[in-house]
Amino acid sequence: MQGPSIEFEHVNLRLGNTHILQDVTFSVRAGEIHCVVGANGGGKTSLIRSMLGQMPHTGNITINWHDNTTVGYVPQTLEFDKTLPVTVHDFMGMTCQRRPVFLGIERSHRQQIDEVLERVGMGAKGKTKLGSLSGGERQRVLYAQALIPEPSLLVLDEPTTGLDPEGREVLERSVVEFSQAGGTAIWINHDIAQVHEIAQTLTYIDREILLEGDPRQVLKSGIAAKLFPSLDLLSAGAAEGAG
Amino acid sequence: MGALYEVLRGFIIGLADQGIIHYTFSYAFVANGFLCALVIGPLLGGIGTMVVIKRMAFFSQAIGNAALTGVAIGVIIGESYTAPYFSMFSFCILFALLLNFSKNKTKMSSDTLIGVFLSISLAIGATTLLWVSARVNTHILDTVMFGSILTVNDTDMNVLLVTAVITALVALPLYNRMLLASLNPSLAHVRGINVHLLEYVFVLLVTILTVACVKIVGAVLVEALLLIPAAAARNLNRTIRGFVAWSIIFSTASCLFGIYAPMRWDLPLPSGGAIILSAAVIFLATMIIRMALPRYREASV
Repeated sequence: MQGPSIEFEHVNLRLGNTHILQDVTFSVRAGEIHCVVGANGGGKTSLIRSMLGQMPHTGNITINWHDNTTVGYVPQTLEFDKTLPVTVHDFMGMTCQRRPVFLGIERSHRQQIDEVLERVGMGAKGKTKLGSLSGGERQRVLYAQALIPEPSLLVLDEPTTGLDPEGREVLERSVVEFSQAGGTAIWINHDIAQVHEIAQTLTYIDREILLEGDPRQVLKSGIAAKLFPSLDLLSAGAAEGAG
Repeated sequence: MGALYEVLRGFIIGLADQGIIHYTFSYAFVANGFLCALVIGPLLGGIGTMVVIKRMAFFSQAIGNAALTGVAIGVIIGESYTAPYFSMFSFCILFALLLNFSKNKTKMSSDTLIGVFLSISLAIGATTLLWVSARVNTHILDTVMFGSILTVNDTDMNVLLVTAVITALVALPLYNRMLLASLNPSLAHVRGINVHLLEYVFVLLVTILTVACVKIVGAVLVEALLLIPAAAARNLNRTIRGFVAWSIIFSTASCLFGIYAPMRWDLPLPSGGAIILSAAVIFLATMIIRMALPRYREASV
């Protein structure tokens, strides 16, 4: 599998009188984990949704696909009526099969679904109602659905929100494996320690790009220290580890 | 199709003549109602699950009200006032498209916009229909509002059958997509689903279904039959399979019992009302079961 490279060129987004993205230009190399970070309301989700063709942006966003053009998308949340009679299996079935899910899951998809649920530690929860899951469990299911069919580009919109440490580790490991297998991942992430650890490149957006590059380089800059007060703790931890 | 209906009617009448089912079924009009119930029940029960999930219960009500105007227009342009299908379908489809277009363009919440359109459609429909009724001296309003399942003819059955086939052929392959689009439109879009187009398709399906059932169940009661069986099924089920299956069972049982009971026990009830009352009893029973059994217990707030 080979993931795509992505070029954002002079991307602008204006909704009503609000300028949400201003002249955003950067690129994502094939097969890397690229984290998009920034303050709340800074335009991260809008940028991702522009890339997915869901926002009326101007400028160019080019995705240079290879053979597999499947996008695995993990939305920020799943807003729905918690009392709806939809189980985890129902949800997984409706995302990947054509046969009405009330007629059951097709045999060809059953194994795939069980496999990805197992991978995110939700193998035993297939028959649980979606509305009865905790926020973190629901995030795991949302991640699992993004893996069927096998994507070459993963787009993750703050998937670790509400996840416990174990869940974060499971998801992080899975994305790293995906990238090592050649897939490209764009990950909106608030956890700068995690970004530092797993991302090959990052882009900090607050309407416009304020930081860009290898996190191990750019997070040493003066601007980064202002944007991420927690970086002190991070570098202290790193120094301790080195000592 | 007339020959097929004749065979089916003959079969039901035969059963009644042999004493296997109640003798009232030996009347052709009761057998007609029974056949319609066998089509309407599963159809409304199945689509009703999606209506509940998409929170569009009152959309069908708005379309039912719009059908009043459709009937009035039909009478004015010279259609038969007992079956003005051309005007009803045309006006209701236009009305539904306008409603959905307004919803997409204004981004107003569905319940607010449907509420506005529902009131407008009722006002226009009642006004025009009462005006037309006075001119042609008939009680069209009663028939359109509450239906008359026991006076359906072969034309009504043809319209219903064609609508049922179209609905099944379109809704079954699109069921998962519609479901996903209502849970998370953004995710649905990434998975290649044209969310807006699908919304229009669903709106059109509910519209033609509502119009096809107006003559039989009544403009006021179609919405109830889309909503109540699905709501009752939702009370007791945790899976989509159970939800859809029980909604179809409840809806069909309500339709059949609603036709049978007034005949069997000589009750002074119109069939449309009896159908909805049957569904209401089922809903109340499921609600009591849900409240009583610990397996359904959930957070109190």
